[in-house]
Amino acid sequence: MGNVPGKLEDESSVRAKRSMSTSAALPNRAGNGNATNRSLRTSSMVGTILNARRHSESSEVAGEAGNPYKRKSTKEKERLKERHVKQLIVKFSETVDGGFLAPFGSSSLEKVDYDAGVVKTLILERRLAPFYTPLQDFDESWTRQELIKIVDGLPLHAAFNENVEAFEGVPVGNLSQSDFEHLIDKSLSRREQRRMRNKIFNARLYQKRLRWQERENEKFLELKLDAKKLPEGQHKTLLPSDDLKADLYSHATECPICFLHYPQPINLSRCCLQPICSECFVQIKRQEPHFPHDSEDSGTPADEEEKDPNLLTSEPTNCPYCATPDYGVIYEPVSTRRVGIHGITPSSYVHQEKPFLQESDVPIRRGSLAASDRKVVTSDSLRPDWQIKLNKERMRLARRSANATAIHVSNQLVTPGHQMSPTISAQTAPRSNTHSDFATPHAQLHGSMWPPNATATEIENQMIEQAIKLSLAESGKN
Amino acid sequence: MASLPKRIIKETERLVSDPVPGITAIPHEDNLRYFEVTIEGPEQSPYENGVFGLELFLPDDYPMEAPKVRFLTKIYHPNIDRLGRICLDVLKTNWSPALQIRTVLLSVQALLASPNPNDPLANDVAEDWLQHEDAAIAKAREWTKLYATRQ
Repeated sequence: MGNVPGKLEDESSVRAKRSMSTSAALPNRAGNGNATNRSLRTSSMVGTILNARRHSESSEVAGEAGNPYKRKSTKEKERLKERHVKQLIVKFSETVDGGFLAPFGSSSLEKVDYDAGVVKTLILERRLAPFYTPLQDFDESWTRQELIKIVDGLPLHAAFNENVEAFEGVPVGNLSQSDFEHLIDKSLSRREQRRMRNKIFNARLYQKRLRWQERENEKFLELKLDAKKLPEGQHKTLLPSDDLKADLYSHATECPICFLHYPQPINLSRCCLQPICSECFVQIKRQEPHFPHDSEDSGTPADEEEKDPNLLTSEPTNCPYCATPDYGVIYEPVSTRRVGIHGITPSSYVHQEKPFLQESDVPIRRGSLAASDRKVVTSDSLRPDWQIKLNKERMRLARRSANATAIHVSNQLVTPGHQMSPTISAQTAPRSNTHSDFATPHAQLHGSMWPPNATATEIENQMIEQAIKLSLAESGKN
Repeated sequence: MASLPKRIIKETERLVSDPVPGITAIPHEDNLRYFEVTIEGPEQSPYENGVFGLELFLPDDYPMEAPKVRFLTKIYHPNIDRLGRICLDVLKTNWSPALQIRTVLLSVQALLASPNPNDPLANDVAEDWLQHEDAAIAKAREWTKLYATRQ
């Protein structure tokens, strides 16, 4: 099998080694089983983080933005989001083999959170079918003229929903101004302000997207109208010739996922050769990081904090048709129909007297290809940040777990009736940065309050260890 | 509300034009993503001769996300709890966008034909099923008669 299972294997072996080394490094402590368990978990987490950083340094994913684990500023996040949305605009000037570089219909951003740069490159390389404008219905009996008329009437992008419920009543201000600070109600709490900023940003982004797409639609329409006025025989170079329209759509096939009709050839699953349109393919992704299902089902679902963050997993996607792991597709373009970018102008395409999809034209492949095959585009390759996401989630859980341990330990420091109440220490404990400063004197101060089977040095050591872990987890985050 | 995706429209049409034997699914007038469903109990199962009402909802992300299905009729089954929730792999982890309303409902019907007490959702029912299978089946029959008779 391919490179992805290879990675997983690698990861699990690393994990095995890691847990060996951590258990060896941990001193044997008597008593206090619960806390020991927790620190065991957190310490193996340190391994994960270190390992993840090492991993990210060598991986290409980290290349563009430096350390991908570095927390991004709000502005930076907004800039990246806006850039992503810009890449989702369908432009008639960016045409490849009669299709486009951005999807036709998906309006919800969650659906199309794939890496747009990766997908565009794949389409330009003719390794993934372009995003074609789909036909809502298709009838084999349509004549050439009927078909061309229908294709001529196709829009660049599906109509947007103008009134999205989530954005109702959210002010958007002047969209051409980049600053919208003044729209945020300054009387709100910091947290509320942040939430409001996020809401306004998303509403503005949606409106901007609508506008950007609308502008493209208008340009496209004008071009089509102008083309009609041209004398017979003259063309607008970017508009497809009638031959191209007919050749593309006369053998349209239904995508089994969205039930819309697309030109052939279409992407085929690498395992069972079932068709899928590019728009559906880019929406298939790994599940969010989660705990293995068998452990979740047995007994009562444990508190998140009680679970080992290392157990968080996210499996590669399965083929929707035959459930083979590591879903990937292949696309075999028609060699005589290379139009648009890296090809001839769409208007100059003429039908070649070779029946479409002849065996000599498109090599018919029998049998499946490995996920690592150069021709295969895997689902994972469209979201190369999945490993980073998983590690981030593991780190988040580890921090929570470490905080819980800190609370637990500091609660033990205080016996009932002592002047320092458990709640106060619980409040101070999670502040991990200050933890190491206050841990040592505390342990000395309250040394006698600990259970008789733990010595002050033991407790102190334990707390210092905890503090180191916490600060490591912090630095991993930053 | 946003316009209905072509897929949902076509699935609904096909459910009408080519119905599944023993299963009906009718979209709600106000919300075309919400279906009222009936499933006939499979022959030679404790649910034979029963007609069970269910509700099915297609979330926004359908078909990338599984439909939500729940029994409305009371049923004695180890994989269906008191709230009508169903423990079925294709509704959760094994959902695939290539599955449809039709195939999901067929899977639910198949679950009635072969209860799986080893992967229970209703723990008490499953225990009963494992320890006194005959009595449990008799109870399932009784409940079918009591709650799932055709109106």
